[in-house]
Amino acid sequence: MSLRPVIVGGGSAGMAAAIELAEQGVDCLLFDEASRPGGVVYRGPLRAGVDLGYLGARYSKALQTLHEDFAANAEHIDLRLNHRVVGGDTERLMVLDADEQLHEIDYSHLLLSAGCHERNVPFPGWTLPGVMLLGGLQLQIKSGAVKPLGSTLIAGTGPLLPLVACQLHAAGAKVAGVYEACAFNRIAKESLALLNKPQLFLDGLSMLAYMKLNGIAMHYGWGLVSASGEGELREVSLAPYGQDWKADMSRVRREPVDTLAVGYGFIPRTQLSQQLGLTHGFSDDGYLRAVCNVWQQSSQAHIHLAGDMGGIRGGEAAMLTGRIAAVSILQQRGVLDANQAIERRERYLGKLAAITRFRAGVERYTQRGAAQIELPQADTVICRCEHVTRSDIDLALEQGVQDMASLKMRTRVSMGDCQGRMCVGYCSDRLRASTGRADVGWLRPRFPIDPIPFSAFQHLATEA
Amino acid sequence: MQTLERVLDIQPLKAADITLQLNGQAVQAAEGETVLSVLNAVGLRRLAQNDHGQPAGAFCGMGVCHCCLVAIDGRPKRRACQTVVRHGMRVETEVNRVVEGAQS
Repeated sequence: MSLRPVIVGGGSAGMAAAIELAEQGVDCLLFDEASRPGGVVYRGPLRAGVDLGYLGARYSKALQTLHEDFAANAEHIDLRLNHRVVGGDTERLMVLDADEQLHEIDYSHLLLSAGCHERNVPFPGWTLPGVMLLGGLQLQIKSGAVKPLGSTLIAGTGPLLPLVACQLHAAGAKVAGVYEACAFNRIAKESLALLNKPQLFLDGLSMLAYMKLNGIAMHYGWGLVSASGEGELREVSLAPYGQDWKADMSRVRREPVDTLAVGYGFIPRTQLSQQLGLTHGFSDDGYLRAVCNVWQQSSQAHIHLAGDMGGIRGGEAAMLTGRIAAVSILQQRGVLDANQAIERRERYLGKLAAITRFRAGVERYTQRGAAQIELPQADTVICRCEHVTRSDIDLALEQGVQDMASLKMRTRVSMGDCQGRMCVGYCSDRLRASTGRADVGWLRPRFPIDPIPFSAFQHLATEA
Repeated sequence: MQTLERVLDIQPLKAADITLQLNGQAVQAAEGETVLSVLNAVGLRRLAQNDHGQPAGAFCGMGVCHCCLVAIDGRPKRRACQTVVRHGMRVETEVNRVVEGAQS
């Protein structure tokens, strides 16, 4: 076997897979678009001399352990940072290097671990400077080591909300409050499932205690109505949410803040898995993701998936699925025999089971309410790149559009720079609600999946 | 020339060995930082004017949304969050060559 396994994405899944391969003496080629490995969760500060105490002791330790394990195996890992995989098929990838030149990379075994991006939920005012997605804001304090401007209000759903609130406060930023859209009883009902990860459950309780101690209010069953300001964010309107997240407009509260962080969960990156022709399916949250078996193999046995790309389960699960994918590749290459591979896989699956039960509890309580799609007004922009408003989408649906491809052709949604990554969630929600179907299609990105300059094609050459 | 003050760093820069030009004003930066970190540190949030004349700031912070597009060394539409600083780099915000009347 002359070609090394290729890994796309150097986050927790890709790093863990590279380590597992290296531990068996197998070299790999690992591409990541960032200037440091670690992915969004474990990239760490981008500049030297930052004391990460404000992110919590357990996080700092996990970050350090992962990077030390990775560094200890560096001789086996050909790490290509600042490289973007912009396309490919079942035998080769198209890769844009740091100097923006394209290369063809042949592969025999591939692991896709490109992670996810945030689900964007549009509401009036979401495009104002000062409104950010929650994970993006967290990345700004974790890797940028910079506080947001003024006081920050956090809204959305899920355990990331209180976590970022605590990290912001510990970093010296002012937090104006956390608004969790779910009612408290829905979270309490999941206590048993959440206890599958006792440490995470305890972390959750200690976060709430920290917030109480520091005067950060936690509002359950409250959510966004709108954001406003002249040129920049100055005020956020919130209201109590019903069971289906319908806002009670008779009880709107206005909060003067400079920064708003919005977190409604994540959507796997499927641009590459779709282009490679892998089989996909839809999650309960309505997002598309490539399907894989117990070995993390996609519908093409030599292409594996790990981490959030195959469904959202977070950084710890990503390391385990990365390890399992690597074990499968090692078996395919004859480095491990079937018994050795199964023994290792079962060990990792055992650890994954508790995380899966914990995540199922989180998914049940964070289930998005149906009324969320009614937040935008007629003139609220949905697709920012092509300036498509809610009324454009309403009209298309009235005219009989029933799937994503038709909506794209009718309205131009998703045809701009972000290629629909920011509007796909809303468009899919609207189409599913109006047709009553679970499958309304998804955006089908073409090569290149990220904008590239024409000059990138100048010296196109094949490299093994 | 007046230097823009970094007011939002969580901890002071250990070594500010890089100077860049932000809309003609000097600003200090550290090796490894992204252009977006520097913009955030000085508190500048109106970063882009998109092709429809709408103002935009950083939104996803991780290279997905293309809302933090600035001109870097004269080249427009560069993602501030995906660009690592270099000494002498020129960064201009709210540049758009498509929209009439915008700075170019």
